[in-house]
Amino acid sequence: MKTRFWKKAYLFTLILFLGCLNAAVLSLTVYSYRRNVAAAEETAKAEEYYIAFSFDRDLSDIGDSPDYSARDLMEHFGENYSSRGRLLAFLHDGDIIYSDVPEGLIPESDTVSHVYFEGMRHIVIRNTVFETGYELVFAKDASDLDADLRSLGAAFAITASLVSVLLAVSLYFVMRRLSVPIDRMRVATEQIAGGNWDYRAEEKGNDEFALLAGSFNLMLEKIGSQMDELEREAENRRIEAEKKQTLINDMAHEMRTPLTSIRGYAETIEKAAIPEQTRIMAAKYIISESDRLGKISETILEGAYMGAVLPETERCDLAATLADTGRRLSPKAEKAGVTFETDLCPSEVEGNPTLLSMLFYNLAENAIKACRPGGKVILSCAGPVASVSDDGRGMTKEQLSHITEPFYRTDKSRSRSEGGAGLGLSLCKKITEVHGASLSFESEPGKGTRATVEFREEKREKD
Amino acid sequence: MRKILIVEDEKPINDLIKLNLELVGYSCEQAFDGTSTLARIGTEEFDLIILDVMLPGVSGFDIIGSCGDTPVIFVTAKGDISDRLEGLRRGADDYITKPFNILEMVERVNAVLRRARKTEDVVSFGDVTADFSKRRVLKGGEEVHLKPKEFDLLEALVVNRNLALSREKLIELVWPMDFDGDERTVDIHVRRLRQKLGLEDRLITVFKTGYRLQI
Repeated sequence: MKTRFWKKAYLFTLILFLGCLNAAVLSLTVYSYRRNVAAAEETAKAEEYYIAFSFDRDLSDIGDSPDYSARDLMEHFGENYSSRGRLLAFLHDGDIIYSDVPEGLIPESDTVSHVYFEGMRHIVIRNTVFETGYELVFAKDASDLDADLRSLGAAFAITASLVSVLLAVSLYFVMRRLSVPIDRMRVATEQIAGGNWDYRAEEKGNDEFALLAGSFNLMLEKIGSQMDELEREAENRRIEAEKKQTLINDMAHEMRTPLTSIRGYAETIEKAAIPEQTRIMAAKYIISESDRLGKISETILEGAYMGAVLPETERCDLAATLADTGRRLSPKAEKAGVTFETDLCPSEVEGNPTLLSMLFYNLAENAIKACRPGGKVILSCAGPVASVSDDGRGMTKEQLSHITEPFYRTDKSRSRSEGGAGLGLSLCKKITEVHGASLSFESEPGKGTRATVEFREEKREKD
Repeated sequence: MRKILIVEDEKPINDLIKLNLELVGYSCEQAFDGTSTLARIGTEEFDLIILDVMLPGVSGFDIIGSCGDTPVIFVTAKGDISDRLEGLRRGADDYITKPFNILEMVERVNAVLRRARKTEDVVSFGDVTADFSKRRVLKGGEEVHLKPKEFDLLEALVVNRNLALSREKLIELVWPMDFDGDERTVDIHVRRLRQKLGLEDRLITVFKTGYRLQI
């Protein structure tokens, strides 16, 4: 696995902090050590000054006394102070007269210097003193300075280590904790990339990560709904294309059947010597099948025409139209043993008279076809609603949902023998559509069917 | 006489098939839906069944399975390849597509019956008897010698009896591969057949169409 962000951040922070901490500790150590050295030097200088002052005064006190020379005084001073750990040396004109300080360690000029001898650190001070020309060299044990430095260094080192460990541990947990929301987002994106579109990032807290998760989820919603929309559209298009293909296939089939008959009978007449009767039968088939072909193409054309152009409309008397439909169909009804009943209240709608009579003619013709001999078809209208009902064989829900599709037939053989192509109701649907009216069917198998055409009220109110 | 059952819900087409098959010498029965067809093939014997795929009630595919050894030619819409394959897979012997050509339909019926060894080998008309298995022709009981192509021509005319065959069609049937003559050759052979078998009244010339043997 690649180094994660939080590990990088952790390492960088830790290195940076440890660097700063150690630099600070180091400079603190150096600073306090320097102060200690300066203090020790000051003390040494003060002591040296006091010794020099005492010596000068004593030297002038002894004067030219014969039994006590300057050298004696020096020895006295030397012994006295060496017992207290201070080493003295006296020089005159650069020559050593008395010295407790090992030779070679005496500085060349007036300075304060740190010198090691016998393994111990000493502060050595040389100072020109008196008018008498004597010089004093003072050396003092300063080994405690080194000890101080050691203990100071140890204390700081321990503190620094403790702080470093504590920091490393706590920082580790803090950084890890901070990276949790990033991890969550990573998991979310991986899930989405893997196709789990329903996955959502957790929106915890109110920091930038929560906001990011929120935006991320919003984005997913948007993309999701867009995808759904596209899918729906594609599905619709597929269904539409399928319907079109079915329509074309049905159309081809519908036209092929009469064509087969026409072609076949014509060929028979051409090739065969057939009796007069058979010849007439063949010719009749050619005529009836041509009519059927013509009817199909006409209906298709009408359907196409109505899809493109709105018909001219005028006030139409529904009652009169229905009565007329009944009259036109009565020979057919009689032949089928079906009676017509009418229940007509005066009513007017806005519409195209040719199309409306075509509409009711088709509906009533279907009603007759659905009836058994002795059946009854009722034409009725009231207000903007007209209906055609029969007590015929009825239809199932499944059939009802298909009846306005072009070329659909509830019963192929029966409908064909009655001369239908399955286009009538699809034409009716088209006619009601261009009138802004609705066409609905209620049916129960074995009990009958009622077709209802409802025109829009506002058309009436407008006039 | 061979008995053929025609199953087709479109009455005009059913009548059309029946009319033409009867012209060329078959006896035909008609059925218009799947249910009655199933009932009939259970009780009656047929030499061939012509079956429409799209039937009300029981589909043609469901009927093929019940036909037993009886050869089946099914009728399907042109271009409906899946239907055609399905039919052949289920054991149909051949198919014709709508709209079909009468001569082609007759040819397919003959071919299927020939494969099933159900064709009539001996056909008689007037005082002429033709035995196609022995390739012999008798006129008034006496054998008439025909050249091979003359015999082939006679066979083509007999098989498509009562239907006019164009000269092109006859060339296609009698001289299938290696014909390098012209339509005059057909006329010459027809004239010889007429002379040898005394068919002047039966083998007639149909105006602008071709020749027809009337039996």
